[in-house]
This record gives sequence, structure tokens and C-alpha cells, in this order.
Amino acid sequence: MIQNFLSMSGYGLFVWGSFAITFFACGLLYYKTLKTLKKYEREFAREINELSFERKKAVIENSKIASQVLSSFSKTI
Amino acid sequence: MFKLLNLSNLFFWIEKLIKFINSIFFILLLVALSFALIFSPPDYLQGDSVRIMYVHVPSAWIGLASFSSIAILSLAHFIFKIKNIKLITKSIAPIGLMFTCLALVTGSIWGQPTWGTWWAWDARITSMLILALFYIGFITTYKLINDENKADKISSIIAIIGLINIPIIKYSVDWWNTLHQPASIKLTGESSIHPSMLMPLLLMFFVLILYCALIFLMKYKTEIIRIKKKNLKRL
Repeated sequence: MIQNFLSMSGYGLFVWGSFAITFFACGLLYYKTLKTLKKYEREFAREINELSFERKKAVIENSKIASQVLSSFSKTI
Repeated sequence: MFKLLNLSNLFFWIEKLIKFINSIFFILLLVALSFALIFSPPDYLQGDSVRIMYVHVPSAWIGLASFSSIAILSLAHFIFKIKNIKLITKSIAPIGLMFTCLALVTGSIWGQPTWGTWWAWDARITSMLILALFYIGFITTYKLINDENKADKISSIIAIIGLINIPIIKYSVDWWNTLHQPASIKLTGESSIHPSMLMPLLLMFFVLILYCALIFLMKYKTEIIRIKKKNLKRL
């Protein structure tokens, strides 16, 4: 039964190949997107951290995004 | 309404949506795959090779839908000059390109056992290849042109010209004699696909749409951070 399922009546290579290529491509795009997002979050958080205390406080008060990125970044480290 | 569309509010909702999609995605994927690979019946003519349809057809639909939305949004950008629109189109384009390429590749794999050939220069396949070239043109504009306003304009023109190709793809199987079969699923009129195959197809489509939403939100979030990072001195 498992052999029948894997062979897909002789079309196994085509069927499994199609699904494998699709999920490999989707996985790769997900990985690349996540990696780029994390890189930008890290760089943005680092740039905020490098600011003087007053500037940093002003940035966090003026930008919700900056404070969110900073808090999520500090959670991951 | 406009307050809701503010980048800070959007950013908050994007984070929530990403978490929600991540939490349900794998369960839905497992269900959809079970239907596509186990529970759906083989075709009386094509046998089990018909299962390729469950990745090929949703990929083609997503490729077409993504480009249509990019083109319509680009047209809106030309008229209303809303910067946010360009962030959206830039985030959609790589997803659309990947699914267009997947439609071409899985279609080619399906073509070998069905038609006896990997490739044919038939109207549907060629017009899909042209769509992939429009996507490549749209994406490379941002890589090649440093001036962002100029890149926005050129990419918008590419997208609007590319819109002409969408009805050509859709009706190519009716207008010309093609190797590719006519549409089995019609929004208006009766579909010729059996419900036992339509259900897994729609399930796979839904799961891949969720995946697209996830990637789109992550890319859109990256674009927002990139802009905030660039304008850090002004904050």
C-alpha cells in the first residue's frame, strides 16, 4: 500500500517532484524573507541603541515602530 | 479609517497577523496535503499524475492575481501618488514571480507524462513565460536604478504594460488552438471539474494564499523598517 502510494501508479517521480520543487521554493523564499527581516530589525535596533540617551528616548517616544522593533529585538537576544 | 492605515498601526496589526498565520498554517497544510495526495481520486485518463494540478493550478492563479494587483496598484500610484502603494507592490512582486515560475516548472513536469513533451511554444505557456519576464523587469528596476522615484515610475510603466498580457493568458486557450486544455473551473458558468477534485484544489489554493499573505506581511514589514531606518535622523 505504501509502495503504491509512493509510486503513484508509475507517476511518482512527476508528482513527488512537483510537490518537492514547490515546497522547496516556498521554504527558500520564507527563509530568505525572514533572514532579511531579521537583518533590518537588528540593524535598526543597533542604530537606535547607538544614539545618545536623549535622542534614543525621543525616537522611542515619537515612533511606535522604533519602540516595537527595539522591544522585540531585546526579547530575541 | 486613515488612522488605521497609519504605518505604526499597520505595523502593529502586521505582527499580530504574522503570529496568527504561523499558528494555523501547518495544520491547514497537512489537511490540504492529505486531500491532495491521499483522499482525492486519480483521474480516469491521467491517473495519479493529475495530482500535479494541486500545486500547478494554484501557482498559476496566484501568479496571475499578483500581477493583476501590482498593475492596478501601479495605476493607482500614478494617479494618487501614494508612497505606501509602492511598498505593497514591491512586496507582492517576488511572491508573484516565484509562483509564476512554479506554474511553468510544474506545468512542464505535468506535460511530460500527459503530452509527451516538457515544453511547447503554445499560446498559454508562452504568455505565462512573458508574464515571468514582466515580473523580472519589475523587480530588477529597483535593483538597477538607484533613484527611487525614477524606479517607481519605470516599474509602474512595466506593470501597466504587462496588464495587457493578463487577458491574453486567460483567453489564450479559447482564442488559439493550444496543447493546454481549456479552463475546467469557471467563475461564471458550470465547472467541469468533479467536486472530489475541486475541494482539494481549493484547499491547496487557500493554504498557498495564506503562505503568500505571510510572505507579503514579512516583506511589507521589512520595507517599513527600511524606510524608518533611512529616516531615523528625522524621528
